[in-house]
Amino acid sequence: MSEQVHNRLAVVRAERKVSRQGLAEAVGAHYQTIGYIERGQYNPSLDLALKIARFFELPVEALFSLEPFRPLTDEIYGRKTS
Amino acid sequence: MTTTPLTRYDRGMLRLMNDRRGRPLYATAARRRLVVAAHLLLTAAIGGLMAHAHLAEGEPVWALVVTVVLLLPWAVATGAINAATRGLLELRERALDERQSAERARVQARAHRAMTLLLAAGAVVLLAVGAAGGDAPTAYAAPVLIAVLAVHWLMPLWVAGLTAQDEPAEDDGPAA
Repeated sequence: MSEQVHNRLAVVRAERKVSRQGLAEAVGAHYQTIGYIERGQYNPSLDLALKIARFFELPVEALFSLEPFRPLTDEIYGRKTS
Repeated sequence: MTTTPLTRYDRGMLRLMNDRRGRPLYATAARRRLVVAAHLLLTAAIGGLMAHAHLAEGEPVWALVVTVVLLLPWAVATGAINAATRGLLELRERALDERQSAERARVQARAHRAMTLLLAAGAVVLLAVGAAGGDAPTAYAAPVLIAVLAVHWLMPLWVAGLTAQDEPAEDDGPAA
């Protein structure tokens, strides 16, 4: 029934150099849950999504979206049309 | 996890259930199925031996000795399934996060459905045997009741072991 929620968690976590365990402890979740969210196998509740966004000091829509995210490099530099 | 603070017991159980030393036993779905199958067979063997000890004439001491010997691998298999599910059924609700709580509810619902089907099948068999053999079901009432109790107790564990998902890929360094 639930719709696929896309996320950029793995990219942001890598950029901020935060381990799954560290993020899990900060937001009160199990480290496997963070892994399942990153793999798209679990959609977090609004509560957990907001906690993750607050941890990274980002708006929640920067991390989670109902539409697939464009690659970050495309967003920053744009894609050259051939 | 809920906002209720964890007790020392909760923290100890959480550490125990997340101890990864036994990981080779349950790292893949095939191994988890094997452990659950072994656990099921051991449970059936122990149940059969206990029923034999209950029904047999005299004092079948050997049956009790074998039962005690089988309890050791049974306990190891139980521990492996619990570790594979990270204590999904063993930890208190307050020690689980939202995904684990939802998973526990799903496992219990599936186990309940499976138990309902098993009990219905068992009732049909008992009624059929009773119709054909007169008093036969009465003699088996106690062992059957104990078997039902054991299966009812262990079904969520088996379902949890069979439905546990693979571990997400390992963290490579602090950032991955």
